[in-house]
Amino acid sequence: MTAEPRVTPEPQILPLGLTERAARRRGPLVTLVDFARQSPLNLLALGLIALFVFLVVFGGTLAPHDPIKPNIQLKLHAPSSTYWFGTDELGRDVLSRVMSGAKYSLGVAVIILSIALVIGVVVGALAGYLGGLADEVLMRLTDLFLAFPALILAMAIAAALGRSLQTAAIALTAVYWPWYARLVRGQVLALKEREFVEAARALGASPGRVLLRHILPNTTAPVIVQLTIDVGYAVLATAGLSFLGLGAQPPTPEWGSMIAGARTVFREAWWYISFPGLALTLTVVGFNLLGDGLRDYIDPRTRRRAW
Amino acid sequence: MVLHLIIRRLFFLVFVLLGLSLITFTLSHVVPSDPARMIAGPRASPEAVEKIRKDYGLDRPLHEQYIRYMAGVIRLDFGESLSSRRPVNQDLKRYLPATVELTLYAMLFAVVAGIPLGVLSAVKRNSLLDGITRTISVLGLSIPSFWLALMLQFVLFAQLGLLPDGQRLPIGVKEPPTITTLYTVDALLSGQFGLFLTALKHLAMPAFVLGFGSLAIVTRMVRSGMLEVLGQDYIRTARAKGLEQKTVVIRHALKNALLPAVTVIGLQIGLLLGGAVLVEIIFSWPGIGRYAFTAIQNFDYNAVISVTLIIGFAYVTVNLLVDIAYVLLDPRIRVT
Repeated sequence: MTAEPRVTPEPQILPLGLTERAARRRGPLVTLVDFARQSPLNLLALGLIALFVFLVVFGGTLAPHDPIKPNIQLKLHAPSSTYWFGTDELGRDVLSRVMSGAKYSLGVAVIILSIALVIGVVVGALAGYLGGLADEVLMRLTDLFLAFPALILAMAIAAALGRSLQTAAIALTAVYWPWYARLVRGQVLALKEREFVEAARALGASPGRVLLRHILPNTTAPVIVQLTIDVGYAVLATAGLSFLGLGAQPPTPEWGSMIAGARTVFREAWWYISFPGLALTLTVVGFNLLGDGLRDYIDPRTRRRAW
Repeated sequence: MVLHLIIRRLFFLVFVLLGLSLITFTLSHVVPSDPARMIAGPRASPEAVEKIRKDYGLDRPLHEQYIRYMAGVIRLDFGESLSSRRPVNQDLKRYLPATVELTLYAMLFAVVAGIPLGVLSAVKRNSLLDGITRTISVLGLSIPSFWLALMLQFVLFAQLGLLPDGQRLPIGVKEPPTITTLYTVDALLSGQFGLFLTALKHLAMPAFVLGFGSLAIVTRMVRSGMLEVLGQDYIRTARAKGLEQKTVVIRHALKNALLPAVTVIGLQIGLLLGGAVLVEIIFSWPGIGRYAFTAIQNFDYNAVISVTLIIGFAYVTVNLLVDIAYVLLDPRIRVT
């Protein structure tokens, strides 16, 4: 991971959070290129994520065959020039199903984390900023959810509310929000005492304004790193619940439920189980690498000894 | 000081257990199903269902049912499983050891392989070995465990016939006499070496799959901890004194680099206990993860709550032990 000699001077690196502003000044594209050039792994991460985000949006439309309609005559055909990834036990094209599945696996993970993020930020910011009793109550509640065995909590919620991708998403939101609450609270606690916040307060800014305009924007960097890594985990968790039959229901081409479907026949049809699993793995690899790369990019202390 | 920490945590433990039971209890009672009807079976007459409802106290208001249940839990009586009709205690006694043994071996694998990999990869930074280690550690976090499990079953069992595809022991093989409830340990203690190997073979695949993610995390922590420590002045001093590389790495660096890894290892144990569900199901492993899954499917809420409480209890306790270990290992840490 040796960086090439740079033409531009090393961007000033900045206490956590200021990166955002610097990025805005330099334009997002410049930052992206700079980030990609820092390590081939960063480039790989961006490539993988671009591919799967593309599939989330266009996968369903571009799929060469119908991902849902069964065609029993074509049952379990090995990969060929017409069916690149072979066909499944109902004769459906595995490639088309993997392509249209991105929106269920990755798309749902993104929705889960967006909601978890909102809840976590609200709880964490209030707890950190108000302190005292509010902090105590909110954080004990957070700890309680953290002590819950995640998969069992998710299973219980999913089973109680009925089996569907929506309830799996609700269940996983309940699993993820506490991490953000804790992260944001820690940041708010640290920032609250800083001079610029005191200055804002001295200038007569209302508490709401101090929190929203001065404190929260500075918590973005660590939150973004955490989010990036969690997307991978949320993809895995969603697929896991679907694999257990508690998430997406057939015939939805969700990757986890495809693997569940392939389980009974995988000895005859290696392709059927391999490709959805590979898609899952590569998606998560992409986000894990991006998370690692971002952490190093944002925090200069870990630069070069990073992953 | 440690005592203060323990007391605070014990309060927290009580709070967590109450909270967990309350949440799980509420969740299992909003389920649109009728447990009395389930126990009675589909063909029971309405009168029989009513009788069961009365017998099990299912006609009482929710808070009363909850208090009755918790009164039992305090006496370590988790009630009766609604689907197996056995006391949940009996079920737990049967299934818990399997999960504990699986988790221990998974963690053993993660630690025994992860620490040396992390150290070597830090010492020989940017070497081929480092590259391989880092690849493993990214894959460990990215491969879906259920997929890895199925692929391994396909290759190692179906294709090569090297390892069994599930269960703790082959069907028909008598389990070792119960001493510690862990098959491998009991087999050794009773001198049945062949049985020990058989049990170990059965553990190999599920423990590998379950431990793979933890292996990745342990390796990462040890590697980054080592890299940080190796750059410090006292290491340079140790080298300048003419100490051997091995002594410097193991006696001086590793000791300090391990500290953050200790926390992670502890957290992982807690997580694995609860995360074994998928692995247990795929490997037909008779543990509490699979038990919980079946219970959830059957709306068997006494069983679900019990498993949740036990795993929650284990999680908080392990965390406490980790914190104590931390304080004992690093005298600079002050308990707050």
